[in-house]
Amino acid sequence: MAKVAREMVEKAGINVDQLVELLVKNAAAELTTYYYYTILRVNLIGLEGEGIKEIAETARIEDRNHFEALVPRIYELGGKLPENMKDFHDISACPPASLPKDPTDIKAMLTVLVEAERCAVRGYTHICNLTAGKDHRTYDLSLAILNEEIEHESWFSEFLGEGPSGHFMRRGETSPFVSKFLK
Amino acid sequence: MEKRSFTKKELYRYNGKNGAPAFIAYEGKVYDVSQSFLWQHGRHQVLHTAGTDLTGTLAQAPHGADLLWRFPIVGELVED
Repeated sequence: MAKVAREMVEKAGINVDQLVELLVKNAAAELTTYYYYTILRVNLIGLEGEGIKEIAETARIEDRNHFEALVPRIYELGGKLPENMKDFHDISACPPASLPKDPTDIKAMLTVLVEAERCAVRGYTHICNLTAGKDHRTYDLSLAILNEEIEHESWFSEFLGEGPSGHFMRRGETSPFVSKFLK
Repeated sequence: MEKRSFTKKELYRYNGKNGAPAFIAYEGKVYDVSQSFLWQHGRHQVLHTAGTDLTGTLAQAPHGADLLWRFPIVGELVED
């Protein structure tokens, strides 16, 4: 634990135990999403599936990066990951991104993907709101993750025909915003 | 479940703990959120508990009331 780092956040008026619990729940959401997106990605087959496979894979790897970036901050603030992985799954801040009944239904697959990202956007918006101006490091981290989750949402939303995302596919490495926390 | 009236005191019993259903109130209506993954054990995102009236807190949430529409309405909240 980073004792003084935690004290500074407490002094700013944040309930650090609640914040840590939120970070753990969102870390659970990221790792479980990485798992469920693996299943979704392998089931994106055929011409239609192939069309979104790469972008699903980018979101999958970036969500795993989000988990990796969150873990140190949880421990810095005096928290920890649950010892039991099943418990970790069940406390996730977002519902499981389970494979639809018909995996060849691309719209159903995209709906699962976009709803997972929307849950994440809400979650990190909330953490940013709680920490802005008070816990600078958690805010910086949550904002970085939020930037990537918003991009994920916009990609899948565009594929659903809901309107342009304004983006092109990632050029170069994944996690342009979060990578500084992974060094 | 037939719709019924709940006072705040009665609503409090439906806190999602020890096998009790998880109900929340919003703008006078009582919703059953027991089946929601995000309301397990009667808690939502660390900060909110079932068995309470959330009308005053939704404005601070990162989502709108539209997310409630997917849950069944089990009654209305009335004065004690």
